[in-house]
Amino acid sequence: MALQQKYQELINAAKTSEVHNLQVREQNNVLYIDGEASSGAVKDNLWNIYNKIDPDFRAGDLVLNVNVKAASGSKAKVVTKESNLNIRKGPGTDQPIVGKAAHNEMVTVLNQTNQQWWLIKTDGGAEGYAYSQYLTPA
Amino acid sequence: MIGGITLPSCKNKKTDTTTNTTTVDTTSSAPVVIANDDELTKGVNDATKDFPGVTASVNNGEVTLTGTIKRDRLPTLMQSINSLHPKKVNNNLTVEQ
Repeated sequence: MALQQKYQELINAAKTSEVHNLQVREQNNVLYIDGEASSGAVKDNLWNIYNKIDPDFRAGDLVLNVNVKAASGSKAKVVTKESNLNIRKGPGTDQPIVGKAAHNEMVTVLNQTNQQWWLIKTDGGAEGYAYSQYLTPA
Repeated sequence: MIGGITLPSCKNKKTDTTTNTTTVDTTSSAPVVIANDDELTKGVNDATKDFPGVTASVNNGEVTLTGTIKRDRLPTLMQSINSLHPKKVNNNLTVEQ
């Protein structure tokens, strides 16, 4: 329970913001918070609170797994730092690159294969898997 | 846009109240599922690909990060690693401004 007290502000924020299927569990001295955020802003807010409680995420006592859901057919924005986003044949960086999406380009999410890789399509017709960290549901 | 959703319980209209417990916040007793080391290794390789100064190792579900990273890039990397279902994340990175 000590960990839940340490991260109480974070847990409360997750409970009061739009996080669905929220689970808060403690196991072997690590706190696990899982759920689906309704937007990138909700997720970012939780990470800001985490960074405030444990600066630079040093303690190794929390696994915060709150991800943003994107509906099939919805749009997402490419949020790379500045470069193009690789579109790959399969879900993995070992897969061949079949296309690119530009920085800030809007693409269509076909499905969320898993939390890391989404199947997307560009307006230009390139279709394949992109790393979800560089996509934000619009 | 997902802005129209208000309360989690609205998703479960017509169903009995017990189904709401899966949606409402809870301190669950179900054990946390940890990814196996092969899955984690593949996941951390993908996650660290765009972080040339970072090395990640996986051992018995624990991910250990070493090397250097800029502070403004740290949350991005941590978010990726945290979504891989690790048992624990050891951040031993040297963080630069």
